[in-house]
Amino acid sequence: MAEHFKISYRQDMALFPNLWVRIWLGILILLLLMAPCFLPRYPLSILNEMGIAVIGALGLNLLTGYTGQISLGHGAFVAIGAYSSALLTEKAGLPFLISLPLSGLIAAGLGLIVGVPSLRLKGLYLALGTLAFGFIVEYVLFHWGLTQGDMGMAVKKAQILGFTFKTEKAYFYLIVSIACLAALCAKNLARTKIGRSFVAIRDRDIAAEAMGIPLAQYKIMAFGVSSFYAGVAGCLLAHYQKWIVPGAFDLSLSIAYIAMIILGGLGTILGSVLGAILITGIPHGILYLTDALKVSYPVLSGLVVDFKLGIFGLIIVLTLLLEPRGLYGIYSRIKIYWKTWPYRY
Amino acid sequence: MIEIWLNGLCTGSIYALLALGFVLIYKSTGILNFAQGELAMVGAFLCYTFAMLLDLPYVVAFLIALAIGAILGAFLDALFFRKMVGEPIFSTIMVTVGLASILSCVAGILWGHDVHAIHSPFTHRTASLGGIVLSQGALYTIGASLVLIVIFVLFFNRSLLGIAMKGTAEDPHTSGLLGIPVKRIHMLSWAIGSAVAVVAGIFLAEQSFVRLSMSHTGIKAMAAAILGGMDSIGGAILGGVLIGIVEGLAANYLSGMEIGDFQFGDVKDVAAFGIMILVLMIRPQGIFGKRKVERV
Repeated sequence: MAEHFKISYRQDMALFPNLWVRIWLGILILLLLMAPCFLPRYPLSILNEMGIAVIGALGLNLLTGYTGQISLGHGAFVAIGAYSSALLTEKAGLPFLISLPLSGLIAAGLGLIVGVPSLRLKGLYLALGTLAFGFIVEYVLFHWGLTQGDMGMAVKKAQILGFTFKTEKAYFYLIVSIACLAALCAKNLARTKIGRSFVAIRDRDIAAEAMGIPLAQYKIMAFGVSSFYAGVAGCLLAHYQKWIVPGAFDLSLSIAYIAMIILGGLGTILGSVLGAILITGIPHGILYLTDALKVSYPVLSGLVVDFKLGIFGLIIVLTLLLEPRGLYGIYSRIKIYWKTWPYRY
Repeated sequence: MIEIWLNGLCTGSIYALLALGFVLIYKSTGILNFAQGELAMVGAFLCYTFAMLLDLPYVVAFLIALAIGAILGAFLDALFFRKMVGEPIFSTIMVTVGLASILSCVAGILWGHDVHAIHSPFTHRTASLGGIVLSQGALYTIGASLVLIVIFVLFFNRSLLGIAMKGTAEDPHTSGLLGIPVKRIHMLSWAIGSAVAVVAGIFLAEQSFVRLSMSHTGIKAMAAAILGGMDSIGGAILGGVLIGIVEGLAANYLSGMEIGDFQFGDVKDVAAFGIMILVLMIRPQGIFGKRKVERV
């Protein structure tokens, strides 16, 4: 019985409080290490996309879920990260190990700049402002000679200390390690004073200011942190896909990220991960289904393009209507049910 | 030069109509409807179906599309937004974003990705006003927008139902206590809002074609609503007209300009968003809007 009661702050705040959690963590790490040995290329590529999406979704959840600042322009920050990394490795010749954090910092810098006007805007005005920002970034990237517009930009493969990442397997280890690091950082950020201030701002920002939390500093910090994550995700995306066009970072990418955090659960780290995994997997699931049914319903294959955005929309609507806390809400309800079984509460 | 202004006025009146729908729904329910552009697109497609595929006369197709649009709006409200009544504003806005995607997907499935044209009595007929040649469709758009503006301003300020709508927007609980049927008024305002969107969509199809990407105009119309003030009908109209004119001027004077490595092409697409950001930074409540007082 004593193990269920926490008797020190350290125990309360611990990420891995007891033996079972550590066992599951060990199993997860083992699976992640061994997955590339068993899985063929196509599922590995899906996992790589999911990993990149996890990083982006973590950033957006820190901004929208924890701090309550609605941002419909997340795709723009991913684009900035991708293009700055591409330019840094191609034109400036910097190694990947430097361009990764640098592209994150450049995106974070722009996030800080966007954060300043966001101090005046609340709710729907902020949503519209970030939406407009997203469109303007897409326009600038399209028309700027430096980014070669619609022709796209070729990006070198990632290289760390002479080792070039050529295979899906190599990228898997790179992306998963960065994603784990990102999730750990986000979780720790949420546990500290900064995370608590974010949540206070989300709940009642005027009251938070009255309690002594400097709103300006923390709101701008939230934008900066989330854009850093987006920049890192963009950089990995650029080096993974090796070819970027501005059209890939439009409103539908921002909506996809919003769908990820809404589906997963706003304001939770596990939610971002689950949401990112599911939303990235859905287009592939649709492709699989339409391919499987192609023999009996040949007309379906032409509709795949429409389905993706429609299904994201449907997921957003259904999640908000039926389970506003998302997958994390379902997960925690199941956990509580089994923890308190056979009692009701 | 005058042509630019008049064409800007014409696109502006379409933005004005869409922005009018935004403001109507916002004034009555407090919800920002991101799906307004998609509703306009669906309305245009419906009109296309009735006018071209079923060969009904234009006016009949127009009215049927209007009726179906209104029913669709009321249906969306009853199905989705009634359940979202107590939820934070972020959830409601996201539901409209989701609905926009769903409508776009359904329209794509039903009508395909091709570009269609609607033949109305105004197509290809021009009128000349003092030496300037204008398409009749443009004139009718401006005229219809003016008529609708007058109707709505009178409706919201003079009629009992209009004032009731304003009341439910400001404070649904108190209005309910006073005996105003809040749910019915919400449904009615959604119906009117989407009917106006359908009108705007059909007029937009007049000037260009009926296609899936018409919904992008809806986002530009949001800029118009912000510019004029989200809770002012006159503001929405003025905002729409201003954005239309500025777009025309920007497209004319800024296109093809080059600063260093940067080419200003397609300014039309982004001028509205630039204006939106400027307005949000300088005067978020728009030209005619009232500053929202936040209480703790």
